[in-house]
Amino acid sequence: MIKVEHLQKRVSMPESELEILKGITLEIKSGESVAIIGASGSGKSTLLGLLAGLDEASDGRVVIGDTDLSALDEDARALFRAKHVGFVFQSFQLLPALTALENVMLPLELQSQANAEDLAQRFLERVGLKSRVSHYPRQLSGGEQQRVAIARAFAADPSILFADEPTGNLDTATGAHIIDLLFELNREEGTTLVLVTHDQTLADRCQRRFVLDAGALV
Amino acid sequence: MSITATKMLARDWRGGELGVLLLALILAVGVVSGISAFATRLQSALVQESHRFLAADLVARSSRSMPQVWLEEADQRVIDRATTLTFPSMVFAGDEGMQLVSVKAVSDAYPLRGALTFSEQPFGVVLPATQGPAPGEVWLESRLFPLLDVSIGDEVSVGDASFKVTAAARTEPDQAASFYGYGPRLLMHYDDIPSTGVVQPGSRVEYRQLFAAQPETIADYKEWLESRLEDGQRLLDVSDGQPGIGSALKRAERFLLLAGSLGVVLAGVAIALAARRFSERHHDYVAIMKSLGATSGKVNRLYGTSLVLLGCAATVVGCFLGWSIQAAFFTVFGDQLPVQPGPAGIRPYAIGAATSLTCLLCFAWPPLRRLGQASPLRVLRRDTPAENRRTLGDYALGLAAVTLLMWGYSQDWQLTLAILAGLAITVALGLILALTLLRGGRLVGMRAGSIWRLALAGLQRRGTSNAMQVVIFAMAIMLLLVLVLVRTSLIDEWQTQLPEGTPNHFMLNIGPEDVQPVDQMLRKQSINSEALYPMIRGRIMAVNGIELPQTEDRTEDRRQRESNFTWSDTLPDGNKLYAGQWWEPNTEASLVSLEREFAERMGFDVGDQLSFVIGSQTLEATVSSLRELDWQTMRPNFFYVFPPRLLAPYPATFMTSFFLPSGDKAFLNEFVRSFPTVTVIEMDVVVEQIRTIVDQVSSAIELVLAIILATGSLVLVAGIQASVDARMHESAILRALGARRGLLLGGLFIEFAALGLFAGLLATVAAESSVYVFQEWVMDMRYSPTPSVWPLGIGLGMLLIAGLGVFNCRKVVSSPPVALLREL
Repeated sequence: MIKVEHLQKRVSMPESELEILKGITLEIKSGESVAIIGASGSGKSTLLGLLAGLDEASDGRVVIGDTDLSALDEDARALFRAKHVGFVFQSFQLLPALTALENVMLPLELQSQANAEDLAQRFLERVGLKSRVSHYPRQLSGGEQQRVAIARAFAADPSILFADEPTGNLDTATGAHIIDLLFELNREEGTTLVLVTHDQTLADRCQRRFVLDAGALV
Repeated sequence: MSITATKMLARDWRGGELGVLLLALILAVGVVSGISAFATRLQSALVQESHRFLAADLVARSSRSMPQVWLEEADQRVIDRATTLTFPSMVFAGDEGMQLVSVKAVSDAYPLRGALTFSEQPFGVVLPATQGPAPGEVWLESRLFPLLDVSIGDEVSVGDASFKVTAAARTEPDQAASFYGYGPRLLMHYDDIPSTGVVQPGSRVEYRQLFAAQPETIADYKEWLESRLEDGQRLLDVSDGQPGIGSALKRAERFLLLAGSLGVVLAGVAIALAARRFSERHHDYVAIMKSLGATSGKVNRLYGTSLVLLGCAATVVGCFLGWSIQAAFFTVFGDQLPVQPGPAGIRPYAIGAATSLTCLLCFAWPPLRRLGQASPLRVLRRDTPAENRRTLGDYALGLAAVTLLMWGYSQDWQLTLAILAGLAITVALGLILALTLLRGGRLVGMRAGSIWRLALAGLQRRGTSNAMQVVIFAMAIMLLLVLVLVRTSLIDEWQTQLPEGTPNHFMLNIGPEDVQPVDQMLRKQSINSEALYPMIRGRIMAVNGIELPQTEDRTEDRRQRESNFTWSDTLPDGNKLYAGQWWEPNTEASLVSLEREFAERMGFDVGDQLSFVIGSQTLEATVSSLRELDWQTMRPNFFYVFPPRLLAPYPATFMTSFFLPSGDKAFLNEFVRSFPTVTVIEMDVVVEQIRTIVDQVSSAIELVLAIILATGSLVLVAGIQASVDARMHESAILRALGARRGLLLGGLFIEFAALGLFAGLLATVAAESSVYVFQEWVMDMRYSPTPSVWPLGIGLGMLLIAGLGVFNCRKVVSSPPVALLREL
């Protein structure tokens, strides 16, 4: 379970302080799929960053399971992410110098998993990229790159998957395929899915939706 | 399976991220170890050359034969030994031939170092000899043949014994440096001495016991001998050898040290730039790894281990490169060297490894260490600031490393400080000038055409980073110009020292009545000779009324000693007045001019009153001036010069030097027959040897220069690459918006050319200042400005940087903008 209490994020500007998130409180149950929607600049990605432990809140706390992320330093949060969190990003975030297989192996290698290569192979097969394992990101289409990113996210067996505009860089048809794949794997693996999107159709496929407007839930 | 540094390195290598960093490291190690090994081997050649001039590694000299216990001790220590005995004696041939000669008797093993040469006929083709004359035989110096009227196969007698003449003696490795007062050489076997009966107790003879072995053995033995030396026994070692080529090699060595030090600085800058770019390009990489759960410690361990592995690989490859550089030189030129250079040992490669370690630790690690602090939030927000700002600590560390490396490498504070001063001037002036000029560009740019506006706007937009780039380019160009300038003046100076037609023969003992006929004979043969200098043998006795010590100990500088005097109304050619005044022509004053270094050794100065004895007469003179001269010009040079009228009453002989091409050597036979009393000294072999060595060392310098140029280019490439991403990104957007190919390339060309112009200008100013400091203070050479370096520095800076810049950004017009934008 993810529990968010009075979460605030402020950044200092040259002349004033900008409040990006204004005391967010919410709960997400294990295995649930939720969408965070809102206009550009409403604070969706900032909230995602805080939920995933990529950033530190100015105030309030994020508790995942028994772990209070707000009480951890960056290294402890990194270890937590390695164990429990998977990501899918709008810009894929694949490492250009690594092949599709090596990109999927990366989180497994960071956890020193013995069968990293086998696992990565299996997940690439599951996303339909068996024949593209040795291709570099630049040799893959946008949809294929996002499928590699999905394989990477699920290969590490996370309990929560955070997806930041996963179809933002893809055309409608490819986007639809990617979403099908994401939900299918999510269901099979029993993962909690937290998704940030502009796309109402995509949001509608989630069990619950949180709407952000100017840093506050509406 | 965990991610390992090896795996990460392999992936980076594949991705092309490591190229410049690895190349910079390899070059740093290669340049340092190569030049160091080269200098070590050159140094060993120099030592051997000195040994050659001693014919041994260590020599004991005495007027008595050496104690038997010395020889037994040498045998016990497995030291090779040989004996020579030198004395003046009369030699007789037939009924009328007789001549005072300098006899040298040598044992079988002579010489232990260097080579003895002979010819089958007088003045014939010079051949190397494995040993001296066999018992019962003698070799005569070429000019003795006409003097005694003998040929090969004839008999001559020395004292009670007769010998068969079997060859002409040509050169001995330990021919005395001073040839005045010696008669022509007669070489015989040491075992024949008793049969001649000429060496009696109290005879004026010089025994030399020669020793040769491994350096440590010789050093131990020398220590053993030193405590047993008695009066009249003296040890000679390398420092007494004094080869004529010493100064050429010494300067070359200093040049190599300079080149090596500059190479280290350049490679250090290249490494720092490459590491910085490497870390910048790895920020996203690390952000992704951290978002996937990598801790700062893990990231640091990964990059730290990668760096160590990279350092090890670069050290191995770099040492091999260094070894190849020096091996290539000695393979190509080794045969022409008069001696075989010794091994370089392990030290140069250890220095190379230490350089690699220092460069990695001080230049590459600081930017990589900060990668661990990269924020994982960059995966969501690319605009999250990267932790790549340099701190003052980084610069201090870099400066300390550069200083340490240069000093460690050259062991010379003067040289290190000269380069550091040059660099400091470049950096300070560079930042001020670059910022001012770049700011000025904005005003001009607003009125210029489209390409210009684009370029100048770019220059101004990236003002600070451009200023840094100008400084880096200026540093690289400055260091290269310094090297080119020093190399040019060094080689020029060598060439002017021994130009074509340098005198290679000396004539001594020309009687006053022979001056004109000798001159005529030389002219008839179209031989250009130097002026004829009168020569009078005299002895310095006292200074300011105080007698100098009477000792024959040659290690004592300040003593009564014999020298050759000359006279002249004008300052001799090639001499420079150092202190005091030259006298008026035809003066009748009692004055004398002294050579500066000799005067310093004797403790004489301008105004001192010196007392001399010439023959049986005394002469008083006041020191009126000190002169500086170059002893290696092969001209007649003198310690003492007097006004002509002062020496007119004394009997004089004359001397001169002249150039004789090797094909005209037969002329000497004819000459010696016509003027039997004139002594001819052949220096052609020595002059040729010096010239060969200078040529070889010049080639070595060119080779080293080429390597340093490559390192300098690497700095330029690394510097340009550092800013390529930002420029490419902007250009890709412009291209997407419809900018023409010509506009983009033109804009980039002008932008880089402007950076090159500023850098070239700065580099030229700083290079001229550095060369001034370096030549005047370190190399002991005269500085003169080089106008040609200005267009070279500025033009080279512009073209090179513009060319490299456009080349590195060429992708912007050859790839689709969308691909570029996605990639960047």
